[in-house]
Amino acid sequence: MLDVHSLSFTYPPLYAGESITSVLREITFSVAPGGALAVLGPNGSGKSTLCHVLAGLTPRYTGGGATGRVTVAGGDVLASPPPVGVVGALFQDAAAQLFNHNVEHEVAWGLEALGVPTAQIGPQVMAALERFGLAALRHRPPWALSGGQQKRLALATLWAMQPRVLLLDEPLGGLDLAGQQEVQEALTGLRQSGTGVLLTTLEASTAGYASQAALLNAGKLSPPFPSAALANQSELIEAGIAYPPYLWPDFGAAQFQPGPPALELVDLSFHYPGEQVALHNIDLTIPRGQFVALIGPNGAGKSTLIRHFNGLLRPTQGRVRLLGQDTAGRRVGELARSVSYLFQRPEQQFFAATVRDEVAYGPTQLRLPDARARVAAALARFALTPYAALPPAILSYGAQRAVALAALAALDTPVLALDEPTVGLDGRGRAQLLEWLVARRAAGVTLVVVTHEMALAARADRVIALDAGRIIADGAPEVILPHCGRGEAA
Amino acid sequence: MSYELDPYVPGDSWLHRLDPRVKLWGVVVGCFTAFWLRDLWWMLVLLGLIHLLFAWARLPWRKLRELWQQMALLVLLILLLQPLFRPEGEVLLAWGAVRLTTGGLYGGALIALRALSLAFILALLLLTTAQPSLVRALVRLGLPYTWGVGISLTLRFVPAIYALFVAVREAQAARGWQPDGHPLRRARGYLPVLVAVIIGTLRLSDQLTLALAARGFGDARPRTVWHDLRMRGSDWLGLALLSLILTVVFSR
Repeated sequence: MLDVHSLSFTYPPLYAGESITSVLREITFSVAPGGALAVLGPNGSGKSTLCHVLAGLTPRYTGGGATGRVTVAGGDVLASPPPVGVVGALFQDAAAQLFNHNVEHEVAWGLEALGVPTAQIGPQVMAALERFGLAALRHRPPWALSGGQQKRLALATLWAMQPRVLLLDEPLGGLDLAGQQEVQEALTGLRQSGTGVLLTTLEASTAGYASQAALLNAGKLSPPFPSAALANQSELIEAGIAYPPYLWPDFGAAQFQPGPPALELVDLSFHYPGEQVALHNIDLTIPRGQFVALIGPNGAGKSTLIRHFNGLLRPTQGRVRLLGQDTAGRRVGELARSVSYLFQRPEQQFFAATVRDEVAYGPTQLRLPDARARVAAALARFALTPYAALPPAILSYGAQRAVALAALAALDTPVLALDEPTVGLDGRGRAQLLEWLVARRAAGVTLVVVTHEMALAARADRVIALDAGRIIADGAPEVILPHCGRGEAA
Repeated sequence: MSYELDPYVPGDSWLHRLDPRVKLWGVVVGCFTAFWLRDLWWMLVLLGLIHLLFAWARLPWRKLRELWQQMALLVLLILLLQPLFRPEGEVLLAWGAVRLTTGGLYGGALIALRALSLAFILALLLLTTAQPSLVRALVRLGLPYTWGVGISLTLRFVPAIYALFVAVREAQAARGWQPDGHPLRRARGYLPVLVAVIIGTLRLSDQLTLALAARGFGDARPRTVWHDLRMRGSDWLGLALLSLILTVVFSR
């Protein structure tokens, strides 16, 4: 079904002085009909490039040079693009592959390309949307969906076309547990009808979905081995892919003493103009120095809630008090002295010419006296000093996430709100992030972290579960998390 | 996350259901009529009829008010300037070279009403027709499919690029950007945003190329269309009525 023999790929240099980058070296493997291979590798190891080459997109549309042989369902994809419907490719950034006006047309587009008779398109679209739990959202524009919903929609568009080979770049990253289960069931159905699957991941648990696994490191792929062998994770840790919870530093939950309120939300309700209510009468007080994990399914209102902390959103009703002061009438730029916010996809919001300028932006804007020292320290902490003079846009995903964190570290505010900070991070990136969080916490910083990772939520002082814009559970992790195993609050 | 730049108001009125090709013909007929009419009272009748169509299509009054507000300045300028530049007929007021005449006033009112009619006719089309079906109509009327895709994607990515702009502004605000009183420094603050948006737009278009190719755009296989346009009895009736109106208007 999928035969790769001695595949190598190189990119031309991105900036003056960089040598030609060899992304894939002599890769050989195959996937049988109905089979599945999990490719594990750290950020920047070439996982996405591999998927793009197999899909016939790279180097055809991106440049670069490929040698070797890639046979997909009998066709040589390096020579000519695979016919429509043979290959389905899920991009790492699923939102980037959605281009229609609404959800149902997004799914129908591929069926139209396949030439499916008009009368059958409607039923097939609905089947795909129901399969991925999106039927109720079918008239919404794709860009108005949450990140997890966008990924499920991208998968639904592929599933509807029933491809012979599926290439999935981190298919479960950023999905809630219910979504992960839906996706796995849908994939199993496709495999039973003979589709071969290649998926990339950072997680041993996701790799377990495939019977075979292989490690990709610095462009070299290990010979495939049974994925069950990944159980003790030692190879993944060594390769910088995994960073399992038993290695994590201690967050010091036992020593936490609640201080005066850092954040108070009083009877807060919010809706976007002309849309349904997104948050209902939220009452919440977070004391200074507390580490709060905010959990809940995709679209529950988690991001909407923390966007109120620094005034990016203003309550339709109710108030927000930050460090004892009402935020009403104060600008976002002013609140930035007290709270910093990690956006969900910060790598898309870079605006500075160099990594150093990006990190220095906050301290310069706020005219902090020791700006230079702060920037130097933040760059060093996230191992970015060697990249300081490069534009952030050309760095690898992991390094870009590090830039986003360094930009917050340089501000060093008493409150930190992070929206899904671990998504897509490999072991090294996670270690960097968690060590920084532990240090912030020791310094008395209030942490509010939106996450789907139960292991991270378990380290918090307090877990708040949100569903459909309401707080449905609030308490110590050992009390809340046992009830969140499946679906409703995961 | 609401970046709605599409004027379409979803609904189920007869005007919403009317085939977009007939609506396009309606725009043509309406525009010809507005240009053909030379009588102030008939122009008023036309504008009145268009307002009736707004009500009949059950469009919110808010939309009509917005349109009037947007057109107000233009209408005011026409009413003020036209009589000055086209002094014809009886002189009502003379102030040096500036003369206010009956003919000038009449002409100004006529052009103002014409501008209003054209704007409202076009608004009727855009308010009651979803962009994809409008593009579909153009393709069915002979526009090449790839051009249609181009138009659709442009319309689709205008909000995406605006969202990018908002996201970068938010990132800056969240890290301490505050509006500066000085307009020059303020304008300079927008420069990095502009650069970021241009880079982001290039990235979007690269990704779009890949997304389209990955789903089989450009494949030789003939495409089918899910909701293709089909002329029903009411559409033919609409087409006939509009054509009749055009004939009557021209024969006057």
